[in-house]
Amino acid sequence: MGITLEKISKSYDGRAVLKNLNLEINQGEFHVLLGPSGGGKTTTLSVMAGLTEQDSGSVSIGGQDVSNLSPDKRRIGFVFQDHALFPHLTVFDNVAYGLRVRRIKGHEMTRKVENYLSKVSIVKEKGKFPHQLSGGQKQRTALARALVIEPEILLMDEPMSSLDAMTKETVRDELKSIQQEIGVTTVYVTHDHNEAVLLGDRVSVLNNGRVEQIESPSELFHHPKTEFVARFIGIKNILKVSLIEINNHEATVRISSNGPDQSVTIRVKKYPIFGKGKEINLCIHPKKIMLKREDEAVDDNLNRIRGKIVKKTNNGNGFMAIVDIGGTTLYAAIPTNFDCKVYENVWVCFAPDAPHPLCGKKCRAAETKRRCLKE
Amino acid sequence: MKSLSFDLTVSLIAGIFVCLIVLPMLALFTTTSFGELVRQLKSPLVLSAVLISLETSLTVVFFALCLGIPVAYLLAMKDFKGKEILDTLVDLPICMPPLVAGLALLILLGGNSKFGGMLNNHGINLIFSKKGIIIAQLFVSIPFLIKSARDAFESINKNVINASLTLGASKFYTFKKILLPLARNGIYTGMIMTWARALGEFGATSMVAGCIPFRTETMTVAIYQNAMSGELAASTAVALLLLVFSFTLLLVFKSRVKI
Repeated sequence: MGITLEKISKSYDGRAVLKNLNLEINQGEFHVLLGPSGGGKTTTLSVMAGLTEQDSGSVSIGGQDVSNLSPDKRRIGFVFQDHALFPHLTVFDNVAYGLRVRRIKGHEMTRKVENYLSKVSIVKEKGKFPHQLSGGQKQRTALARALVIEPEILLMDEPMSSLDAMTKETVRDELKSIQQEIGVTTVYVTHDHNEAVLLGDRVSVLNNGRVEQIESPSELFHHPKTEFVARFIGIKNILKVSLIEINNHEATVRISSNGPDQSVTIRVKKYPIFGKGKEINLCIHPKKIMLKREDEAVDDNLNRIRGKIVKKTNNGNGFMAIVDIGGTTLYAAIPTNFDCKVYENVWVCFAPDAPHPLCGKKCRAAETKRRCLKE
Repeated sequence: MKSLSFDLTVSLIAGIFVCLIVLPMLALFTTTSFGELVRQLKSPLVLSAVLISLETSLTVVFFALCLGIPVAYLLAMKDFKGKEILDTLVDLPICMPPLVAGLALLILLGGNSKFGGMLNNHGINLIFSKKGIIIAQLFVSIPFLIKSARDAFESINKNVINASLTLGASKFYTFKKILLPLARNGIYTGMIMTWARALGEFGATSMVAGCIPFRTETMTVAIYQNAMSGELAASTAVALLLLVFSFTLLLVFKSRVKI
């Protein structure tokens, strides 16, 4: 079943946490709520579960309005950030808890519990108490406990935030395959954009109580719509540009964030929004920028800007060069075969279709039908 | 050297504390012999006082559980108007001198008050009876259970409670299967404190129930009565028995329950 939030608002002590939030999650979808701390992710999840009562708006699960139903009536499973296992019960009894509530006992209960314990690879630990488990085992127990009741919706609140990198990777892969096997609609809260990419079918970026953008991970990461989304997902290359000329397929723009004496013009793909204003923000993914040495030949079809490497950094996924192009800095991924030094002069090259406008508009059309991607 | 002298100072202070508790207890033993103690404990008056004290104090623990746990749950889990007033009311009997509590209960339950008169009309007489002792002891001792249980409820991770609710459990099921077991140690501590306070209650009890031998004379009242009438041996026997009760029960609970 899908879940729909309509015009949800929630305030704590006069501080608005959710502001008219709308969200529609499809049946069977793995949906990630991504955003910074205080953006409203956990409150959104809590409203879905019925643990927090919204000030206004409605929550529907499978088309049925559940706004006034208590959490025990919503047929949801919830995995908490701190696992929230029952400390006085064994792993088996933790997982069996929801079944006992539903008066499922005896052989059927044991079969179901052991089935889910084996799905999350924790059968051997079934007699242990939570304090005897590792972080990963606690996580698996919490997942089995939420899934064994066969919920319509699985809600997960930053469940992997306390796990080490290696365990996180294993549990993440297991989670994704279990979700695909069961097909349960899943809403997953995280502030880690790598997790969002690896897990989500679609990602909603929440900021300041509002959804900034809902997209597939690849589309979100290559075509962020707002400056906030771009910066949050780690794209720091945002160019403020002024339109000079628009042709059939391309536009010529001047980078206005550079000083007046360092004016640089570039050619970019024409987007529908270009007709509406002269000042616009463009973002370029660091992987779409190529660095060339000063004496290297550059393809005429590419934009070419002279720059100086001011810093080299490692963002965890590889080395980045920070290049000053005359008042504006750009991040560029450094290929493994490109050996460059700090303060070296280079050409910053990118194709006209590499920059993407931060239009700030919600896309109503499906990704395959969008004019901005087709033209 | 500095840390050694600090440890020595702290140990000396702890020694003073031990003396403060142990010396008065030892003094009790110096006034009697074992044979005398046994003889006194076999006397019907002392035996009756012991039985009345045990009966009333254990009944108080039962009623404190029934009344105190819901109040503790409310204070720990809910936000409501008047919460601070309720919280202050819980603390009040601890701060109030027991004689004042006894006087207030005497006025309320006595035949001259409207409430007491109404009870009398229905054949219920609480003054100078065991029921009066129970009410007086409950009044002064129930805050200990409420405060201890409240702290225990408050220390439970809220997400554990939420997890139970999202698994389909009702609030009552969650209370029964999650909250009560997790607050168990705090509730046991509260029970011991309540029982000890009820057993040692004197002021309010003597005001409400008087000192009628074989009817309303509790152990503490018997100690006072005997000491005042020069029966020091009987007084000491009851006092030592009271000490043994408290010490043994505390020891048993501490070894069984991690308080």
